[in-house]
Amino acid sequence: MLLVEQIIKIWSKYSTVFLDGLTGTLWISAVTVFFGTLLGMMWALVQLSKVRPLTTIYGWYVGLIRGTPILLQLYFFWLWLPKALPLELSNTQCVIVALVVNSSAYVAEVIRAGIQAVDFGQTEAAKSLGLSNRNMMCYVILPQAVKNILPALCNEFISMIKQTSLASVFFVSELTTSFKTVQSITFLAIPPLIISGMIYLVVITFLSKMVNLFEGRLRVSD
Amino acid sequence: MTKDAKAILQVVDLHKQFKDLEVLRGITEEVREGEVVSIIGPSGSGKSTFLRCLNLLERPTSGQVYFQGVEITDKKIDIDRHRQKIGMVFQHFNVFPHLTVLQNITLAPTLERKIPKEEAKDRALALLEQVGLVDKQNEYPRKLSGGQKQRLAIVRALAMEPEVMLFDEPTSALDPEMVKDVLGVIKDLALSGMTIVNVTHEMGFARELSDRVLFMDEGVIAEQGSPREIFGNPQNSRTIDFLSKVL
Ligand SMILES: Nc1ncnc2c1ncn2[C@@H]1O[C@H](COP(=O)(O)OP(=O)(O)OP(=O)(O)O)[C@@H](O)[C@H]1O
Ligand SMILES: [Mg+2]
Repeated sequence: MLLVEQIIKIWSKYSTVFLDGLTGTLWISAVTVFFGTLLGMMWALVQLSKVRPLTTIYGWYVGLIRGTPILLQLYFFWLWLPKALPLELSNTQCVIVALVVNSSAYVAEVIRAGIQAVDFGQTEAAKSLGLSNRNMMCYVILPQAVKNILPALCNEFISMIKQTSLASVFFVSELTTSFKTVQSITFLAIPPLIISGMIYLVVITFLSKMVNLFEGRLRVSD
Repeated sequence: MTKDAKAILQVVDLHKQFKDLEVLRGITEEVREGEVVSIIGPSGSGKSTFLRCLNLLERPTSGQVYFQGVEITDKKIDIDRHRQKIGMVFQHFNVFPHLTVLQNITLAPTLERKIPKEEAKDRALALLEQVGLVDKQNEYPRKLSGGQKQRLAIVRALAMEPEVMLFDEPTSALDPEMVKDVLGVIKDLALSGMTIVNVTHEMGFARELSDRVLFMDEGVIAEQGSPREIFGNPQNSRTIDFLSKVL
């Protein structure tokens, strides 16, 4: 019972720390996925262009991002960005850049897979009607691919919420950092850890349910 | 280089290879204006591949394809412009599921031929009228039966006012009771003077409607002639063998 009491006590005293942390987590995730999607779309275009050197570079990029731990990528940008740019960069900014780069590779793959999942017969029908490649993409393939891509993008947002906990290594204000903050004030580790964990769980479960509903909607209209 | 203009489609020494599988092994043939040509033959003999080479959905490994005297296998040519004049209907319909029946038909004419929306719509409605689908104009394809989807696919192609129509087994994915409707539409089209190349398993249809029947086997046209010749008095042993199995 002691643990429950401790949890309740800590929550009543430090709830703002956790809620601020949650806010941090959510906006970092949102910003990251937003810019990650923009960058990811550009990569997807590069890949779709089928221009040889570009698609090779795309392959390396995706391979590198997906083939190395995200924590290492965070360290890299944290160490390298302040040196490379003549700007004062906060830890948060470095972390966001790293997460955007990471996310873009996954988003690019999501878009590519979403496009490839559209029945090849659609491409053939569009071509046989004499549609240009551009019109075929814009009016036939992409509108159908969006149904595959949107839910996957939402899932990317959800998984980003979990990834941002790595930012606590750099004391960026987010939910895992909140746990560390409260721990250092109260000298209790497990209760604040459980509180952070439960907030993650609630938020992620809720968002996953929403995505499932949304996916169901999209499928009905098919 | 231009060739005989009376022939709408001509192919010269057409070869197609997938990896180390030689699917078309030298086909020279032509389709003349207004002609209805049926292509029959065993499964895997290359009928679909041949048909798809005619509008370059499949790029031949070697050989030329001429459409209205212009070599469309020429890499420099704008193939989209020529494809607009070559309608194609697929075994699995390939209608656009995210567009309504009407939008399916008007998409290509408005985008590629810059026909005003209203005009495109009027013409689409006239076409739907001919195939008995006017009441479905605002439905999405998922609400249509197979036969209705295929009729939609046919008028979608016709909306581009093609000079020739290619059919690849248009009825073989249909339930038997729907075959007749679709064949009826194709028959009307043939009687209206449209040039048609029809890959088919419907021997009755091929016999009744074709001006010429091509029998394909192992990547070549093994025998060809009028329906009467092919069905009544086949010469090639493989034609005889094939017909004995399907008739
Ligand atoms: N894209 C492809 N890649 C590799 N092989 C292919 C491809 N398309 C067709 N083939 C092969 O080419 C051969 C001829 O195929 P095609 O579809 O032209 O035959 P078909 O005469 O239309 O047969 P069916 O009556 O079954 O439709 C087959 O062995 C097939 O497996
Ligand atoms: Mg076939």
